[in-house]
Amino acid sequence: MATSPITRATGRVAVPVLGLFWLAVTTVPFLFMVMTTFKTQQESYSSSVWALPEALDFVNYADVLSGPFLTYLKNSVMVVVISVILIVVISAMAAYAFARMRFRFNEALFGLIVAGMIVPIHITLVPIYLMTRHMGLYDSPFALIGPYVATSLPISVFILTEFMRQIPKELEEAARLDGCGPFAIFFKVFFPLSGPGLSTVAIYNGIMLWNEFIFAYVLTSSTSTRTLPLAIWDYQGQYTSNIPAILAVVTLTSLPLVVAYAFGQEKIVKGMMAGSLKG
Amino acid sequence: MTSITLSGVNKSFGANFPVIRGVDLQIEDGEFCVFLGPSGCGKSTLLRMVAGLEMGYTGEIRIGDRVVDKVEPADRQVAMVFQNYALYPHMSVYDNMAFGLRQAKTAKAEIERRVQDAARILQIEPLLDRMPKALSGGQRQRVAIGRAIVRQPKVFLFDEPLSNLDAALRVHMRSEIATLHRNFPAASMIYVTHDQTEAMALADKIVLLHAGKDMLKHGSIAQVGKPLDLYHRPRNLFVAGFLGSPTMNFLPGTFIAQEAAGARVALKGGEELVVPVNGGALAPGGAVTLGVRPEHLAPVAAPAAQTLTRPVTAVEHFGEYSFVYLDSGTPTPMIAKVAGDGGVKAGDTASFAAPIECCHLFDGDGIALNHLTSL
Repeated sequence: MATSPITRATGRVAVPVLGLFWLAVTTVPFLFMVMTTFKTQQESYSSSVWALPEALDFVNYADVLSGPFLTYLKNSVMVVVISVILIVVISAMAAYAFARMRFRFNEALFGLIVAGMIVPIHITLVPIYLMTRHMGLYDSPFALIGPYVATSLPISVFILTEFMRQIPKELEEAARLDGCGPFAIFFKVFFPLSGPGLSTVAIYNGIMLWNEFIFAYVLTSSTSTRTLPLAIWDYQGQYTSNIPAILAVVTLTSLPLVVAYAFGQEKIVKGMMAGSLKG
Repeated sequence: MTSITLSGVNKSFGANFPVIRGVDLQIEDGEFCVFLGPSGCGKSTLLRMVAGLEMGYTGEIRIGDRVVDKVEPADRQVAMVFQNYALYPHMSVYDNMAFGLRQAKTAKAEIERRVQDAARILQIEPLLDRMPKALSGGQRQRVAIGRAIVRQPKVFLFDEPLSNLDAALRVHMRSEIATLHRNFPAASMIYVTHDQTEAMALADKIVLLHAGKDMLKHGSIAQVGKPLDLYHRPRNLFVAGFLGSPTMNFLPGTFIAQEAAGARVALKGGEELVVPVNGGALAPGGAVTLGVRPEHLAPVAAPAAQTLTRPVTAVEHFGEYSFVYLDSGTPTPMIAKVAGDGGVKAGDTASFAAPIECCHLFDGDGIALNHLTSL
């Protein structure tokens, strides 16, 4: 469709302006957070919230790292890594079946799984809590893995199914002629070719689970079993909160995600766009 | 034994959508058979049924002496070359070619030998370490053929393998496929195309398939035979019109009487011709269609017996030859393919003669009447 010169000129100006505005919206809170971590607790109360710190004081980081932060970090890494591996493998296998295998109720089952995305996790908390206690997993990092995998599967299966539907059918047929059964086709052809989709699922779920709070709060209670999002609670008292220390925890917690997103954003966008454009 | 036999084969997609009907076909050991037909005639489906990729059909398919209806694709000793090459994008050329052999647990040394042999035949040795995305269309097609060769199949199946290539490369690859057939004389080959030039150039046998209502009425197979048999002795109007470019001219007429030299017909333009066919079963006054190919019409100086005289509506010059468009009295013009510039121009009236042995006569149902002389 032809566009007028005025429309094009407006677009040339508006797009960068909107981009800068959005950059400010997302960056300012982050900068505020990092800046505040260098203030002392007293300074954070006495000075303006936008005032620069009087000195680059790393005392809050030292304070956080001398506490149970590393235990939380270890728990988070373990829970997220195991959960993401399980999510990727299970959702990829399910997606292959939904995308390529003809069986009764294929579409109905796919619809049911995708419908799982609209179930609010809060209504599942009590049953999951009771089940976890019943299984003897309460107050263990492993208690989180089941709910994490289950709640992440719908979106993951949805993304990967759309991705695998785009893999040419002829590749599957060539593999069949080359002597592959369904498992060999999946592991030797579809799984390697779904790299961008698998990365999307891994990074997206990694970020979501790294920040997950509510299951961790409900299913764990000891310092030795909790994950990073709960570290904030250590610095929140009944009558006062150590805001610079809390923000130091948040900064340290978000650093791995910032790095992961910086390297993986292209794959996330590519995976999310799968199926929206004709190749 | 690399023969392929299809007996009473039918296939439908769903309950109400038949695509293949009543196919009985014998492809001999080492024969190059081309499935030809318009879009939607089921030629690729038929090929895929032989490959084992399309199941749920009725009838029987044999490869050699073995009924393969319930045999997995990998166990049918067939290899297939796909239209879009279907190379595994995450594997090198070598791995693409070796993949099937590795799946079959072939010894490493044997895999190496077979891949190198195929690469040498196809002149792709320098490409073995490359990934498919780094190859041109022609190179990808060679790799796809190489992947088929290494399996040493009884049957090669080609599903429109040249349709993604440009015109020049298509001609080149066509000759390479012909060479491949000579290099593997024991293997049978089935080749699917909608391009009659490819079919005529490559085939030992052409299977021309009907589509749509013709398929439902007459079955899938319109005619089976050697390329020149189909060209010179088409069984019906569909076959006559499908083969040849430009297509055969069809002139409506009326059967007058059977004479010793053939059937006398009166055309709508007023001419009377004797076509050397057996029209004994026709009733005088019955509708017939005269068929004559554009390349068989030769210009003559003046109207005479056995000539067609018509006003010229347009002339297209191609240097070596010209197409002369003539008013046929029907919505479709009659075309004559003549050498050079043809010596006529639009608005002229021109006369053309056709060798009578090259004329065809079709009855009211579109079925060709038998020629009195064989080819």
